[in-house]
Amino acid sequence: MTPKMLLLPILLPAVLAVVLLLLPRALRLVRDALAIAGAAVLLYYGFVFFSVKDLRFNVPWLGMGIDFDLRLYHFSSFILLALAGFLILITIYTTAKMKGAPREREFMAYVFLTAAFANGAVLANNFVPLVFFWEGLLITLYGMITIGGRPTSGRTAVKALLISGFCDFSMILGIGLLWSVAGTATMSEISVEPTGLAAAAFILMMIGAAGKAGAMPFHTWIPDAGVDAPVTFMAFLPAAFEKLLGIYLLARIALDFFKIRPGSGLSILLMIVGAVTIVLAVLMALVQKDLKRLLSYHAISQVGYMILGIGTAIPIGIAGGLFHMINHAMYKSGLFLSAGSVEHRTGTTELKKLGGLRRDMPLTAFGFTVCALAISGVWPLNGFVSKEMIFHGALESGYTVFAIAAWIGAIFTFASFLKAGHSIFFGERTREVPEVRESPPAMVIPILVLAGLCILFGVYNKLPLTLFIQPILAGHVEAGETVDFTGHALAVFNPVALISIGCLILAFLLHRYGFLKSGRKAYLASEPMHNLPILHQAYDLAERRVFDPYEQGVKVLQGLSVVLYKGIDRPIDFVFEKVVTFTGEKFTGILRKAHNGHYANYLAWCLAGLIIVAGVISLLAK
Amino acid sequence: MIILFVVLPLIVAGILPLVGKVSRRVLPDLLANATLLGLLVYAAVAGRALIAGGPVLQQLSWLGEAVNLRLALDGFSLFMLLAIALVGLAASLFSIDYMEHYGAKANYYALYLVMIAGMNGLVLATDLFSVYVFLEVAAIASYALVAYGLSHDGLEAAFKYLMLSVVGSAFIVAAIAVVFGMTGSLDFAAAAAGLQELNAGPVLAIASAFFLLGFGLKAALVPFHAWLPDAHPSAPAPISAVLSGLLIKVSGVYAMTRIFLNIFGLTPALSTVLMGLGAISMVIAAFLALGQKDMKRMLAYSSISQVGYVVLGIGIGTPLGIAGGLFHLFNHALAKGLLFLTSGSVQQATGTRNLDEMGGLAKRMPVTAATNLVGALSIAGVPPLNGFWSKLLIIVALVQAGHPVFAVIAVLTSVLTLWYYLLMQRKAFFGKLNEKWAAVKEAPFWMTVATVLLALLCVGIGILFSTTVSTWIQPAADVLADGIHAVTGSWGF
Repeated sequence: MTPKMLLLPILLPAVLAVVLLLLPRALRLVRDALAIAGAAVLLYYGFVFFSVKDLRFNVPWLGMGIDFDLRLYHFSSFILLALAGFLILITIYTTAKMKGAPREREFMAYVFLTAAFANGAVLANNFVPLVFFWEGLLITLYGMITIGGRPTSGRTAVKALLISGFCDFSMILGIGLLWSVAGTATMSEISVEPTGLAAAAFILMMIGAAGKAGAMPFHTWIPDAGVDAPVTFMAFLPAAFEKLLGIYLLARIALDFFKIRPGSGLSILLMIVGAVTIVLAVLMALVQKDLKRLLSYHAISQVGYMILGIGTAIPIGIAGGLFHMINHAMYKSGLFLSAGSVEHRTGTTELKKLGGLRRDMPLTAFGFTVCALAISGVWPLNGFVSKEMIFHGALESGYTVFAIAAWIGAIFTFASFLKAGHSIFFGERTREVPEVRESPPAMVIPILVLAGLCILFGVYNKLPLTLFIQPILAGHVEAGETVDFTGHALAVFNPVALISIGCLILAFLLHRYGFLKSGRKAYLASEPMHNLPILHQAYDLAERRVFDPYEQGVKVLQGLSVVLYKGIDRPIDFVFEKVVTFTGEKFTGILRKAHNGHYANYLAWCLAGLIIVAGVISLLAK
Repeated sequence: MIILFVVLPLIVAGILPLVGKVSRRVLPDLLANATLLGLLVYAAVAGRALIAGGPVLQQLSWLGEAVNLRLALDGFSLFMLLAIALVGLAASLFSIDYMEHYGAKANYYALYLVMIAGMNGLVLATDLFSVYVFLEVAAIASYALVAYGLSHDGLEAAFKYLMLSVVGSAFIVAAIAVVFGMTGSLDFAAAAAGLQELNAGPVLAIASAFFLLGFGLKAALVPFHAWLPDAHPSAPAPISAVLSGLLIKVSGVYAMTRIFLNIFGLTPALSTVLMGLGAISMVIAAFLALGQKDMKRMLAYSSISQVGYVVLGIGIGTPLGIAGGLFHLFNHALAKGLLFLTSGSVQQATGTRNLDEMGGLAKRMPVTAATNLVGALSIAGVPPLNGFWSKLLIIVALVQAGHPVFAVIAVLTSVLTLWYYLLMQRKAFFGKLNEKWAAVKEAPFWMTVATVLLALLCVGIGILFSTTVSTWIQPAADVLADGIHAVTGSWGF
């Protein structure tokens, strides 16, 4: 294993992306086989790299401390493996789901291009390559959303691009500050106290990382994309890849680059961002009537748990946050894929139109149920374990309010998934959806694999915890302190777990109440919540996107732009339109007139030039 | 055997007119392209191994007697040889189809190879007089090639080119005479050492000014540029590509930098003048390009502007600046060669060079349009193409060396560059297809091969720019950054 091998996870998918794009449509089977084989090779090397763990590839690049520096160590090899795992599942799924869809080849190419950029970003050990790869992801993000093909897809793509672009821009600013504070761009050498300028750098970089993961208030493009983008995209980027990347970077920021201490202001800031994201996003998720939008809001809400966990700066909390990251990527990806499977056969994901699908699509129903229970934190699935760790962390930090926020989140998460699962797979068949069949194996297998992993990581949580999560923290705890969280992972008889289980029961009762109250219509089960006096107005405003900083920002900008247009732009435009182009044209005109083809003139210029040059040299030489 | 770079093309050029009597097309095509391919392979494969232990020197001898001609190959010359072989090969591949209707292909290739031999010799020369001789060899071949179509424009342009170029050569000879008078030697190493001892300020200033006029004229720096926009567009497309891509750089920039940096030593005064000339050329020519309707004329002005970048970069005198300048020289040679070749494809297909008459050609000539776009974006400095990196290096070097004003000018000029190239794209290739061109077809095979080859190089070097810089550019820049020690130290016989 030479260090050069580290280029493989970047170059192979990039080359494959080009090949997949260029292969003619008639060779669909070859293309699919090639894609799956490529993803399998990446997965194999994911395991190889995970077993190697320590590799550094460093070539000088631009000078001035800017090197093309790739570093494989425990954390990055873990993320690399996870990315490869999701890549192969998504690839398999895509071969069936996107079959015959317009711009199918392009989608597959984007998937691999994204993988190339993501692998590069994870391996980068120097800020400049990191930013390079990180920015590259914007291209594929934009491209994949437009493939959705709905009238509003383009608009959503722009929205996603602008919001992500803003976050990335903040991150670049933060990196610039951190670079000047730390004096190096090599990531593994940076560790600074977060005070003064460094604190500003931390906040800016945090915006970049949390924004990539989709935390509030940088989340608003996700629900829109949930409807406008292909559902495979949702399972691929917002559910899996972006979470892994965003949280990876956030963990690097909070653990490595800055020394964040429990109880410090920045730790509390992170926990506030996390808690607010959990509660607000889950409240929005609760009242959604479309499965894809519902899942999108949960994708946001769950990020809150990860940020809260990492923000506690307490080992168990951080470990919980990171464990939640991988868990979330699995079940949320599984959920989106199930939504895609339902959509594939029925043509809709609106809860109202669906019902009783468990008999027609038993495997999808099973996968969905497992993933939904996992995300709700039901014992003994993986979501339970990681959430418990985060609750413990939040309590240990001494700020009970954050634990309470997390529990509120748990209640509504379960309630909304009861609603979704109940309306789609249980209850009576609806008239809108005719007789349907189970989706093809290429779509069902990825769902089942993810569901299986959710069970495995829950029941046998020792495996992921000792293999993946705990080594990440090894360098970050006090000497002598043990890093073993497997002890009370599935323990039920302690106050924290009992409260969590209480929350689940409460959620079940809430759902049942709503279900009965709305006349046994599952999709209306959240209406009592929806209609609560103040909440109702708030929901209405939210539906009208009053709370969407992007939409509001766009409105403010539009107002501002009218003012600027009339007051400043037109006058400036006059300067450019009339003055600049006029002088530019005049200038060009004069120059052109001077070039009249008479070589005597040209010769005269040469001689004049000679005199001037000779004069200047003699003057300067003295 | 570095003499091969000069002798091989000369021998083939000598045989070609005879071969032309036997075979009108196939053999000349084959011979000329094989020669250039051979040179390219030799430069690319064997070159780096040759100079691994320092510069290679070769004393020519005739029947056992030493002749007064010595050649030397160092990092800088090797780099130039590679560029010459690369662009030369692309242009001659292009000629296979393009020169079909000009007739007398064998003679054309003979002149072409004489020009290549002249450029190669200039790059390998170790004394000032050989510089002059090879300069004239290349120049005289190029006068004939510009007029090769025997069109009215071509003849007039060739005449104008000849007149101004001769003036430039005269001043070069004068400057050489001044140096000889002062040091008693024409040899690079001896002249450099002699000038170092003499400390002759004012006379040296006159010599520098003469050289600047002479080489500035060859390199078409403003205000010595006015012949170029006439000469380059009137020539057949592959010749335009070689003139703009190579000749102005070899006989102008290469000779100038070799003499100023390795023999005179770059004084602050000279550095300021070079940067000033570079910046003026950059800006004025960019404005002029903006006002052109003729595709090839626009490209010709753009060449002046880009040579300005090269001179600006080298004029900084810091290692990074020199590397940036040389890298830009190389990139511009590829991209401008590519653009002139595609303009030839367009001209052959439509019969016009007027941008206003074109429109929508991308639909009929997709490969030409795509390769042209690559070349245009590369020169305009759009990442990740090669031109972006070289411009970036120049700008970074300017900032580091404490010339922020020049850096801003360089950035603004690249905006202008992007502007006129987008204008060209829009008028020629995008938009609605002009009905006149409904029957237009894609360029023939070899023409397409040549443009695709150069476009791939533009993209590939952009992606692998750090490898290119470290293997080819850096050794060349090291020679120049070494100043006069590069020749006095290791070039003595």
